[in-house]
Amino acid sequence: MKTKFEIKDLITVGIFTALYFVVTFIVACIGFIPIFMAFMPLIGPIFAGIPLMLYFSKVKHFGMVTVTGIIIAILMFITGHPYPIFIFCIGAALITEFVLRAGKYSSIKHCVIGSATFSLWLLGMVIAFFFGFREAYFASLVDGYGQEYVDKMQSYTPTWMFFAMILMCLVGGTIGGLLGARVLKKHFKKAGMI
Amino acid sequence: METGSRTAAGKEMLKLDPRTKLAILITVGIIMMSGKLTGIEYILRLICTCVPFLLLISVKLYKTAVISALILFATVLCEGFVIPNTKGILNLMIMIICGVISRFGPGYICGWYVVRSTSVSEFVTVMERMHFPNIITIPMSVMFRYFPTLKEEYLSIRDAMKMREIGQSIKNPFTYIEYILVPIMMSTSQIANDLSAASLTKGLGAGRKRTHICSIGMTCIDYILIAAMAAMLVIFFVF
Repeated sequence: MKTKFEIKDLITVGIFTALYFVVTFIVACIGFIPIFMAFMPLIGPIFAGIPLMLYFSKVKHFGMVTVTGIIIAILMFITGHPYPIFIFCIGAALITEFVLRAGKYSSIKHCVIGSATFSLWLLGMVIAFFFGFREAYFASLVDGYGQEYVDKMQSYTPTWMFFAMILMCLVGGTIGGLLGARVLKKHFKKAGMI
Repeated sequence: METGSRTAAGKEMLKLDPRTKLAILITVGIIMMSGKLTGIEYILRLICTCVPFLLLISVKLYKTAVISALILFATVLCEGFVIPNTKGILNLMIMIICGVISRFGPGYICGWYVVRSTSVSEFVTVMERMHFPNIITIPMSVMFRYFPTLKEEYLSIRDAMKMREIGQSIKNPFTYIEYILVPIMMSTSQIANDLSAASLTKGLGAGRKRTHICSIGMTCIDYILIAAMAAMLVIFFVF
């Protein structure tokens, strides 16, 4: 097992992070409609899990997933998400890192679990709806989005929703991972690309 | 793959430093995503809506500039004056449509402009000057270069599907996504291999300090623009 970063690894990180980010971003745009916002942590990882599994099959040593997490956090921050996103992205990436390591970077089962844990970074996007951030955030939203929208949002996101979202992330990530594993088996194994 | 970044770079009227472009991107992103619709913040939003227009003019894409400016202004004005006066489901509908366009649109155009007008070499040099570690810089520069390619790949896959009459009548969304995503993933891993080979040829793996021939430097305009962006952010967060 190699431990040092090579240029090849960095390029793999860049290109697959780009693909993952685009897929997630497209799904996240749907999250603007209030009811979908609540289910975004479930829907997002299902689609994003497919390219993520291909990426995980190319990850060969510690650190690559963390770099992906950091880059996603930077991009999310630039597009106007609050700072807790850094904590969530890097945290989720580190957990995933340990999961993949436990599977020695070759076990499909661990990749599926990793896909579930990596999806947890999505919580960083919705953290503003909950806990200490909640009151201030909704107050700032009233001016920006109008009272009707905020009422709708508020009714979809009671505090227990946060824990439901954790569950949704994990379930969505697992489904996405399994789907990805099937796609990999169907298309990539046969073509000899892994 | 190079065409996207190279053709536009030659015909810029105004050459900005990549650092300035990043400042613009971050400012517009933050203000448009989380700005309010009243008072001083609404004025800031109006200013930010002009930015994509000016940027597109500076790369001489007049038609795109005018069309996008019209759409963006319509949505922002709609947010400011129509939404407070409507109620119920109509309000929510306008809110969502205008919201998606006005919040993501300007940031998207600015991002597109940055990718389009900055060559990879410039980007890497600037990141190096700002003392970003290589481990972040290289993946990010690969990403920047990959976004336009991804779009091209998607368009050609769609063409290929049309040619073989697949895709019009697929009921199952997962089948459709599989048809799109699998070829993209195939070409992605191919491109990753090609790029690593290319970068090895260019000596990126040598571990020596990188040299460059592109001219990077802050001009008067850059300083003015960065100051303006900083001022806008200060106003945005303080008031």
